[in-house]
Amino acid sequence: MLRSVKGLVCHTPKLDHGHALHTTAKDWLSSTVSQDVRILAERSRAIFRTSENDPANHAEHHEGCHYSIPLQEVKAVFPHGLPSPFQQQIKTFNEACLMVRKPALELFAYLKSSSFAHPAIRYVIYGEKGTGKTMTLCHVVHYCARQGWLVLHIPDAHLWVKNCRELMQSSYNKERLDQPLQASFWLKNFKTTNERFLKEIKTQQKYAWGKRESTEEGRPLGEVVEQGLARVRNASDAVGVVLKEIKQQCHLGSFRLLVAVDGVNALWGKTTLRKEDKSPVSPEELTLVYNLRKMVRNDWNGGAIVTTLSQTGSLFKPSSAYLPHELLGKEGFDALDPFVPIRVSNYSPQEFESCYHYYLDRKWLQHEKARTAEGRDELRFLSGANPRQLQRLAGPL
Amino acid sequence: MAVAAVGRVLRLGGRWSVAARDGPRAQTLRVIYTTAVVQRKNVAASGPEKYTEAFIKKQIEEFNLGKRHLANMMGEDPETFTQEDIDKAIAYLFPSGLFDERARPMMKVGVFVAFLSTLAQYFKQHFSFADVCLFVYLQHPTEIFPEKRKIQWGEDGRPFHFLFYTGKQSYYSLMHETYGMLLNAQKYQDQMTAQGFPPEKEKKNLPGSRWLTKVELEEMLLEKLSDHDYSRFIQLLQKLVTLPYGNVEEKYMQKFSKEIAMQLQKVVIEPLKYDEQGVAFSTGEGQRKTARATAVVYDNGSGKITVNGVDVLHYFPVLQDREQLLFPFQFLDRIGKHDMICTVSGGGRSSQAGAIRLASAKALRSFVTEKEVEFMRQGRNRNFYFIIN
Repeated sequence: MLRSVKGLVCHTPKLDHGHALHTTAKDWLSSTVSQDVRILAERSRAIFRTSENDPANHAEHHEGCHYSIPLQEVKAVFPHGLPSPFQQQIKTFNEACLMVRKPALELFAYLKSSSFAHPAIRYVIYGEKGTGKTMTLCHVVHYCARQGWLVLHIPDAHLWVKNCRELMQSSYNKERLDQPLQASFWLKNFKTTNERFLKEIKTQQKYAWGKRESTEEGRPLGEVVEQGLARVRNASDAVGVVLKEIKQQCHLGSFRLLVAVDGVNALWGKTTLRKEDKSPVSPEELTLVYNLRKMVRNDWNGGAIVTTLSQTGSLFKPSSAYLPHELLGKEGFDALDPFVPIRVSNYSPQEFESCYHYYLDRKWLQHEKARTAEGRDELRFLSGANPRQLQRLAGPL
Repeated sequence: MAVAAVGRVLRLGGRWSVAARDGPRAQTLRVIYTTAVVQRKNVAASGPEKYTEAFIKKQIEEFNLGKRHLANMMGEDPETFTQEDIDKAIAYLFPSGLFDERARPMMKVGVFVAFLSTLAQYFKQHFSFADVCLFVYLQHPTEIFPEKRKIQWGEDGRPFHFLFYTGKQSYYSLMHETYGMLLNAQKYQDQMTAQGFPPEKEKKNLPGSRWLTKVELEEMLLEKLSDHDYSRFIQLLQKLVTLPYGNVEEKYMQKFSKEIAMQLQKVVIEPLKYDEQGVAFSTGEGQRKTARATAVVYDNGSGKITVNGVDVLHYFPVLQDREQLLFPFQFLDRIGKHDMICTVSGGGRSSQAGAIRLASAKALRSFVTEKEVEFMRQGRNRNFYFIIN
């Protein structure tokens, strides 16, 4: 037995030696290979990522690059603003990366250079379906939030003009209709976004919510919001009060106001809602829409109004419509006129490359052909450099 | 005894015919028993009904008369009353709920005409529905009585044709006629050479025609042929063709030849054209189902495609259609290198995509070597080729 063990002991070192050599050689090779891959990855990452996380510092050389937003900030700034595919992407990739694109940079330049003594300038972001209008709006919202503005973000105005379960007659004005559910939902998100402002801004008049409840003058706006959340029946009126107060106090200069409305063409279109006698409801009969329209008018100063046109959720509009006068209609166009139009278009070749590499880096494109140049060309052809199409194409791959 | 027995049987019925054998031997009666049933003429076994030519002619006359009556009834001009007008008039007068055309009641023309002649008296005014109900179908007699062999002999039992007793009179008369043509051609050739004219070059039968098949020939002759007969006939025709002066009988021979579809010809690839900026472009046309498309493919492009003035993403929102457009470029590895402007009409979205795909493939032929064109036609991918070879 001892002999056999000795034999074993004698033999194994040789094997080990050979093995060791073999493994060390393999290790060395693999380490070099992985080093190369890492270097390549870092280099390519450098192309499509940037570490500049503050939108204020984004400049033209960042164009096409992705910058990431810390997840806590996402929860604070965008409780309801991001499109749902992007939200799912955040969950999957565990990070929120936005691409810096030209329309956003243009908007930043305008915002930086505009004087706030003048009436608020209206910006309308328009473009074809799936080109990135909502994402541009979110980029601007993030920028303003970082700058410390009060952000009034209405994620999708179309939600207020369709699919409403409960329509109540407004207690304030008999002719108008309330939407308690939508109003309370929005108030909740508004509270998350702008906590500190709600403590600072004080009401300038007394509001009576019913026989027994009222808010005194000089109380912080947070109380109005609480009231709206607690008594859902008064939520729409609470929204109206909040908007009015903010608008009145904006010109004082203690804070800057950003009104960000996505799908602003909903405010002037038709609704699918009907009253109890089956007659159609027009938008101005809804309290929320009525108050929002007042916000979007440029009779106040000290801030900016950035809006997006959206065909996707719109009602009774053809799917090929994307120009302002097509989607807004005559009434809306006149109401919004004058405005600064900002066009968002499909990806440029450089932006497409950046997005493609981002997906590769995140290992979202699993198909082996997707890594090749032909695969990239095929993706570019089939998506037509449209961001939404690319995102949907890359999903199953 | 036997006679008594025979007599008894006679009374039972049936007929006895006695066959008497002539000769010096004693008469042996061989009795052949046949029943009345058999003695009656077996109509079913006498073959298909044969129509005399006179009968057919009479039917045709009656048909024409009926046609004129019908035209008068409808207020149309009898001279220019075609079969289609007849069909329309019948459909108008007797709307039938039956779907199958053959199920609609069909009446022999004779009875119809007899009826019409009585009706002609009440013409235009006294149409009662019951009368009118009877004529439903009016067709030329040759369609109702299909071409069958007419009776080949006259009243005295003598056949009309001199080759009747060969059994295949039409076939043999055809062979006889064709051989006569052959002899004529040879005689003509001899005359020509005697006069010193050089013989004409042998004319080959054009590849676009073929001889009749055996079935078609049988239909023409209304006779059954054997394979051997058929091959003899075709050999004779071919000999006639190959003779130097055989083309004199061309009209005769055309009766026995048929056109066949155009064969695959070598496709001509158009060269590239250049527009004002000097950019090379090429046009192609394609179709699929009922969609027709034309595509103009430009060189030095970026992969932009415009369909009917609209961007491809808007015109084909479905991915499947865009994939179809991708395939020709992907096959040639030229995805981002060409721009395309196409127009398409007809069909649905899928067939329009297929039509543009074909049109772009045809246009791309001009940009590509002949070998690749051959690969495109066969569907062999270049990369695949390298793997197997």
